[in-house]
Amino acid sequence: MAVLKADMVPTVVRTGASTKHADQALPARFTHGDRVVARNMNPIGHTRLPRYVRGKQGVISHDHGVFVFPDTSAHGKGPKPQHVYNVRFDAGELWGPTADQSVSLHIDLWEDYLERP
Amino acid sequence: MSAERHTASETGPAVRVKALESLLAEKGLIDQKALDLLVETYEQRIGPRNGAKVVARAWTDPVYKARLLRDASAAIAELGFSGVQGEDMMVLENTATVHNVVVCTLCSCYPWPILGLPPVWYKSAPYRSRAVIDPRGVLREFGLELPPEVEIRVWDTSAEVRYLVLPERPAGTDSMTEVQLEALVTRDSMIGVAKVSAPATRR
Repeated sequence: MAVLKADMVPTVVRTGASTKHADQALPARFTHGDRVVARNMNPIGHTRLPRYVRGKQGVISHDHGVFVFPDTSAHGKGPKPQHVYNVRFDAGELWGPTADQSVSLHIDLWEDYLERP
Repeated sequence: MSAERHTASETGPAVRVKALESLLAEKGLIDQKALDLLVETYEQRIGPRNGAKVVARAWTDPVYKARLLRDASAAIAELGFSGVQGEDMMVLENTATVHNVVVCTLCSCYPWPILGLPPVWYKSAPYRSRAVIDPRGVLREFGLELPPEVEIRVWDTSAEVRYLVLPERPAGTDSMTEVQLEALVTRDSMIGVAKVSAPATRR
C-alpha cells in the first residue's frame, strides 16, 4: 500500500487526485429535465447514495461528466466509469407535505443509483 | 498533529486521534512528517482568503463571473487555485430570490484549495443532518433570517464535485476596489450560512 511521504505532499496538494474518467464520451443515460428515481438499494459495502433520497423522485439538473464509480472501486472491483448527475429533489418529496415548499435539495448521484420512474 | 504538537490535557476525541496516529505510524501506514506538512499547509498557506479573491474578482469583472459560472474549475485555476479536493468545481450564485447552501451529509467534503479545511461545525452530525431537512432553521441559528419567499437550494456534496457559493455583493460597495472587497468576504458566506455585510453594518 502506498504511503504519502512528506516529499510527495506539495505535488499531491497542488495536482490533486481527480477521479474524473478519461473517457468523457461514454453515452449518458439521462439528460437535463429527465424525471428519475433514486433506487431503493441498500448495499452492505461502500456506497455514496444516502438513505434519505432512496426511493425518491427527482429531476436531472446537470450532467457533471464521467467519473469512477466508488461502489465498485472501493472494493477493488474496477472503476466502472459512468456519468454523475446533479439531481434536484423537492422538500415535499423528501420530507412530506408539511415540509418547507421553498426548499429543494440538489445532490450528485452516479448513474447506477438512478432509474426511470 | 505529530506528538510534539499535542497539548498537555486532552480528553475524548484528542486522545483517540493521538492513539490512532501512534498506531498507524507504528504500522507504517502513515508518515508523520507528511501529516505535519499537511497541517502546516492548510493552517498557513491555503484557506478562505483564496475563495475571497475568486468572489471579489467575480463581483468586479462580469466577463470573469460568466466564465466562473460556466466552468468553475478553469476560472478558479486562472487565479492560481487548484489541487486536491478541488479538482472539479462548481460555483453557485446567490441572488435576492435564490439562496444556496452547501453540506456533505455523508462525511465532510469541502473545496480545500479555495476554502482550506472545513470548520468543526461543518463536519458535525447536527449540521450534516439538519441542513438538508431544515435549512431555514439552521441558517437562523447562524444569524441569517431569510424571507419565506426566498428559494433555498441545499447542495449535498455526495460525489466528486466541490461547491463554492458566490454570495451577493452587498449594497453600498460600489466605490470599493477589488482588494477592499476581498476583505469583506467571509468563509461562512462561501458555504452559504451567512451573507456578506457592507463595512458600515459589520459587527
